[in-house]
Amino acid sequence: MVLLSFINPLSEEGQEIVKEKGNLENVFSSNDELIYIATHDKRQNIDDDSLIPESYGDLAIKRIQWYIERKNNKNFNNDDYSYLFNEKITEADVISFHLISQAIATKLSPNSREARFFVESQGKIIEERIVKLPEQERKEIVNRILNQLIFQESINWKFLKELVASKKISLTDLVLDEGNIILDKEDFINRFGNKFKDRAPDRMYDIIIGDSIKELILTKMIMQNTENYLQKIREMSSKIEVHPAISELSEKIAQSISELTSKYSGFYGVGVSEGSMKIGKLIKEAFPPCIATTVEGVSSGGRNDAIVLLLTSFVSYARLYPAIFRNEGVDVKISDIDPNLTITLNEILPLIYEAADNCSPPLFDDQPQEKINITSKLGFGMYENPELDHEGETTWYTPMSCEKIKMHLPQLCRPDKLCAKIGNPLSYYSRAKWLMEKEGKSANNGNSNNNGNSNND
Amino acid sequence: MFKTATLEERRRYYREEWSEKDLPKFITDELRMREFGFDHLGHGPNDRYKVFRGKDSLRRFLRYKTPFAAYISVAFYNNPRRRGDWIKSEYVFDVDAKDLPIRSCDCDGVCEICLSEALEIVNNLIDTLESDLGIKNIHLIYSGRGYHIRILDDDIMDSDSELRSEILKYVAGAEVPKLKYGNISEGSGSSYNFEHFSIPIAYPKVFTKRLKYNIQHLKGTEEIDDINKKLLKDIIKNRDLLEDNQWGIFRSKIGPRRYKNMVTGMARVNLATIDAKVSIDLKRILRLPTSLHSKVSMKCVEVKDREWFDPFKSAVPKFVEERE
Repeated sequence: MVLLSFINPLSEEGQEIVKEKGNLENVFSSNDELIYIATHDKRQNIDDDSLIPESYGDLAIKRIQWYIERKNNKNFNNDDYSYLFNEKITEADVISFHLISQAIATKLSPNSREARFFVESQGKIIEERIVKLPEQERKEIVNRILNQLIFQESINWKFLKELVASKKISLTDLVLDEGNIILDKEDFINRFGNKFKDRAPDRMYDIIIGDSIKELILTKMIMQNTENYLQKIREMSSKIEVHPAISELSEKIAQSISELTSKYSGFYGVGVSEGSMKIGKLIKEAFPPCIATTVEGVSSGGRNDAIVLLLTSFVSYARLYPAIFRNEGVDVKISDIDPNLTITLNEILPLIYEAADNCSPPLFDDQPQEKINITSKLGFGMYENPELDHEGETTWYTPMSCEKIKMHLPQLCRPDKLCAKIGNPLSYYSRAKWLMEKEGKSANNGNSNNNGNSNND
Repeated sequence: MFKTATLEERRRYYREEWSEKDLPKFITDELRMREFGFDHLGHGPNDRYKVFRGKDSLRRFLRYKTPFAAYISVAFYNNPRRRGDWIKSEYVFDVDAKDLPIRSCDCDGVCEICLSEALEIVNNLIDTLESDLGIKNIHLIYSGRGYHIRILDDDIMDSDSELRSEILKYVAGAEVPKLKYGNISEGSGSSYNFEHFSIPIAYPKVFTKRLKYNIQHLKGTEEIDDINKKLLKDIIKNRDLLEDNQWGIFRSKIGPRRYKNMVTGMARVNLATIDAKVSIDLKRILRLPTSLHSKVSMKCVEVKDREWFDPFKSAVPKFVEERE
């Protein structure tokens, strides 16, 4: 039987492992046992030394790399990371899990994209580990972990409302009756037995609920607990000094994620016009005054419109389709240019969210629903996060004209010389970029040296 | 009826007819924690951030000012005068009869037909809130041109907009139910496909019910994304099959691809039936129950018996009956 912490590193057993064997002095020292386990896994590809984790720190980074590669690399080979699914790795894996948590929570932020990748990778790792277990063991492990996570006999969905709110679980996937999530077979048959006319209720239980909902709840609960854990470390971190090894790890994680995401966000835009209208990384220096001010944060009384209406549409078009006003009438969606939403999620939204945080008071603190409004202005319906499935439910808003900004957000309109020549902040941006190119201030394509501003979370 | 009330009529209403005894208990319980807003001229509520210590001061204000419209916040604050220190908010579903994407009448604003359809819709929503989600403390208010479902369930009141929008999607039937069901005991590869109507429980049941309602109320002139004129016509032609829930035959008449278009379009209709902005807003103000909706000369009243409520019996002020 695998250890429970192979699936749930936050279990008591996992905490014990960290207490006994987690030592911050050897985060990056070569670990023979770990190397042995990885190289002796039957499926592991050992042709390439760089695939083998050499230390706990290295394993921590590789856990996240696996997730990004798996998601984006068309030629991904699971045997490059086979050791991650070998139960013998449990102890090292638990220690790495806790190291990543420390590194992200103390040095980055629980809301950073690094945190998001980490939590998502944890979910995927659990899913794949569970799937690979033999059937009987799989049932038993799932039941045992669920019993630790959920204390009540029957669970009310409100017990999992955090999971619902963060969309880890959709209410529509659950079988609900009088507020309870139905998981037990007998309970199911008692409640719904007479509703099925053509099919046997116990058979329907296996199909509709079976073990899949249990596994879903288990996976998502551990993801949520990981998020809460990051938050907890963050709160405590102000009181303790961060170990240099943790700082080093967080830098390496951030660097590795940056490299991988830029590797997979390389794209060549659809037919847009020449010159400065080209799609490319955001160049903050070319932002018009109203946008530059918004990025620094707006005070109450204009925050919502500045962030949701002005900045969201400006940044998204500036990054993805600066030529929109030249090609008026063209029906374009974000996914036409950013098919996996990599740029949207990793460059555009972080910038908008950062600006929202810079507002006084921070926008989402008292108006969290504005996140949904931002998603909706990008064309992805009324949801907290953009997802391809929902694209088109709302319209991708084009940026406000200068005239509108003057009316709605007069405090932001502090025109400079260039403003006199344009009617829309996006035109300012294109023109400013063009001028900068002419003066040789910026390289002439999207992979220029000017990409720092969007990754500063 | 449905004419704008004159200043004199408003005066008569607040001085002769309005009584603080009619204020619902859920409103008066923590009155001083709520923000009030007023519209004095019919241009929208621009007199906001008002606070009343109790029913008496509210009565004096209403009698003296006889506002065009009166509103109360769904939010409770420690400092309502500045909307400061938010504590919690009611969870609201706003169903406006004049904005229903599918309705049988042809009226411009509201009429008996669309108002009764709005009531049928809110009754369905409340049934689902109670039976599936186990949500308690639900109040129904007739708003003058539609209905507000106002929920004071403690577990929901402190929650954020995200949770609210997830509940909304379930209750409204705003998502197409999943088709594929995995089956672990028969190996990880196998799965089954089930259309929503084959599963008579849980969310698929909710969706099926909303879909059936929509189809039965179609006029044929609606413009619905994903449902073109020809498809709309065929849906109406075959809808009698749904009387006996013969969904399988109905689907085969429509054809699988077009059926998929139909459910996608209808999921959107379901979302549009409710004003989602109101549900996710934690600081909204809503019409004060007992106040006058001056634009249509109807009273905003709490609905006690939602099966039999008739706004034309319970929400018509005396001055309307006495109009020439």
